[in-house]
Amino acid sequence: MSDSFESSTPSRKRSRWDHEVDEGDDQLLPTRQVSKRRSKPKTSKLSEYSNTPSPSTKSPVKPSIAAVRPRHSIYAPPRTLYPSLQPARSVYSYERLNQIEEGSYGVVFRARDKQTGDIVALKKLKLDEEKHGFPITALREINALMACRHENVVNIREVVVGDTLTQVFVVMDFIEHDLKTLITLMPAPFLQSEIKTLMLQLLSAVSHCHYHWILHRDLKTSNLLMNNRGTIKVADFGLARRYGDPIGVDGLTQLVVTLWYRAPEILLGATTYSTAIDIWSVGCIFAELLLKEPLFQAKSEMELISMIFKLLGPPTSSSWPDYTTLPLAKSITLPPQQSHGSGLRQRFSYLTNAGLNLLSKMLTYDPEQRITAEEAMQHPYFKESPLPKHPDLFGSFPSAAAGEKRRKPFDSPSAPQRLADYNLITDFDLP
Amino acid sequence: MSRALYPLASLEQVEKSPSREDGLPPDLEEDLRAYGCKLIHHAGILLKQKQVAVATAQILFHRFWFVTSLKQFGIGDIGMGALYLASKLEECPLRMRDLINVYDLLLRRASHSNSTGDFKYTPMSYFGNTFYDLKDALVVAEMQILKRLGFDVHVVLPYGTLINYMRLLDLTGREDAVSRAWGYLNDALQTPVYVLYPVPTIVSAAILLATRHLQIPLPSTPPNCWWELFDAEWEDVWAVCGYIMRLYRERSKEDQARVAGMLTKKDVRRWLEEHGHKEGKH
Repeated sequence: MSDSFESSTPSRKRSRWDHEVDEGDDQLLPTRQVSKRRSKPKTSKLSEYSNTPSPSTKSPVKPSIAAVRPRHSIYAPPRTLYPSLQPARSVYSYERLNQIEEGSYGVVFRARDKQTGDIVALKKLKLDEEKHGFPITALREINALMACRHENVVNIREVVVGDTLTQVFVVMDFIEHDLKTLITLMPAPFLQSEIKTLMLQLLSAVSHCHYHWILHRDLKTSNLLMNNRGTIKVADFGLARRYGDPIGVDGLTQLVVTLWYRAPEILLGATTYSTAIDIWSVGCIFAELLLKEPLFQAKSEMELISMIFKLLGPPTSSSWPDYTTLPLAKSITLPPQQSHGSGLRQRFSYLTNAGLNLLSKMLTYDPEQRITAEEAMQHPYFKESPLPKHPDLFGSFPSAAAGEKRRKPFDSPSAPQRLADYNLITDFDLP
Repeated sequence: MSRALYPLASLEQVEKSPSREDGLPPDLEEDLRAYGCKLIHHAGILLKQKQVAVATAQILFHRFWFVTSLKQFGIGDIGMGALYLASKLEECPLRMRDLINVYDLLLRRASHSNSTGDFKYTPMSYFGNTFYDLKDALVVAEMQILKRLGFDVHVVLPYGTLINYMRLLDLTGREDAVSRAWGYLNDALQTPVYVLYPVPTIVSAAILLATRHLQIPLPSTPPNCWWELFDAEWEDVWAVCGYIMRLYRERSKEDQARVAGMLTKKDVRRWLEEHGHKEGKH
């Protein structure tokens, strides 16, 4: 900084704004950065905005400090890394292929980017009957997707517009499958090793969202997309919203989460809830992967409550101290106490103790005691045999969304196939 | 770090503001944008809206004018749209009718300021055309902001950063310094700095102004400069200080009247027609 006055030229000041300009200036000032470029080729682009003179030209006293110390903290990245203001592109940048699905929120199309040829999913937002301008739910969804970029969250590419102001499309990566369809169509449930991989991916995505102050509020297998490379992506942030600390000061709605995956505190009318509700849903998804069918297939909220009580036993003052303070708790008569935890063990008789422990920690009544996504990822279940399978080793399936068909229904019994597979592997292993 | 960065204006966007391309002089654009932000601020107070929503609205408002000319949209409409949108983003949505009533009052009071006599406000009729016209303008403004900003409405406010920096500089005991710096951050919302510089630079500028004003010494001689802790460049910090201090300069009656008469795109267009050939000479 000491020599900044002499070395600060107008072109240097500009170089902080724009990469292209930066490159051009370098050619005008060839002596300035040559040695630095050679020594640190990877970081040279980022380091040039700094007014610290390069060690070769000035101040031989402290060259090493300037070279070693990173110029920017990760919390204050250099100016050039910030994106510029970009107006929305037109939907005509894409070529429509086929319709994937139609939900209450809008229609989803498969489309091709005319420039790059990439296949994408175009979600058209329904804006025709809006009385309150641009729907807040769509805003939350777009913001949540933009704020939560992650390997296991569906990637939002951009938002494009049509000819009129009522045509808005969210452009996302196209992912071949959703986990719900996959589970119902596949002949045998996922292997333990596969379930561990899927759960780790899901937990990593959920923990990432929570870290960025986003609640998903609608985790379920049909909102988990899966590609042919064994990677799942959390999708549909239509109910997602930011939460704060303290939680729920602005009042949260109870009309969230698809019934089967809804946490007991929401069922009982809590207006302040937090990240724990997503974990309950993750627990239900975990169970669904194991069972190959949804855990609580209830038709009404009351039926769901009684199914939960039946499986986990009624809540007690130790398992859920705040239970009695919940608005709807008084209107419910608790069933008699059973022997503790037996319900889960009976339902998941083949699950290891570690697996059962993780499941029960996710399906814990008291939101305060329920495991967090971060903690769950460290659970011993993921470290015991069989270890999580590498995503590349997952099989691929025909994609219903891309209009592909299954070649032949699987109707033969599976045991002989397994046996054959087993022989094959042992044969292969022989010297 | 995977957290998405908030957008800032590119060099080209800074050098060629769309309004300037349309022939509007830079100082007039600056005044109009500042006035639009004051309207948002007034509306926020009258609506008892949270400051986070007001500040977000002001930043979105400034971003908008880096991609759109004042000839195409008025500062009244876009300010209203920005406040409506920001209130949704900050999870404290406003009722359309409340916002429209408040803006109607503010706009009429502003245009009255150029004439003599006491200002009397007569509320609009419940189903009158005034309401529906303003409502259409509001919906269009909100959508245009979203569209022209590419739906990237991620805003980072400076307040948390200020608290951290003040702690780091051991200044939290100086309440006068803290509240003065806080005030500079709020006033800076009337300038485009939040679209020009990253938050650490702006916060450093607010601290610099506050500490210099109160004559609180901080290490400022090379190689020990406190703003370097926060990755801010001296030239940038100084430039932000310049933007903020310009807000406080004395303004002539004519300058004030000129701005109050240009709240809609029609007014701006009329002004451009009247002054067009004069500006063209430059």
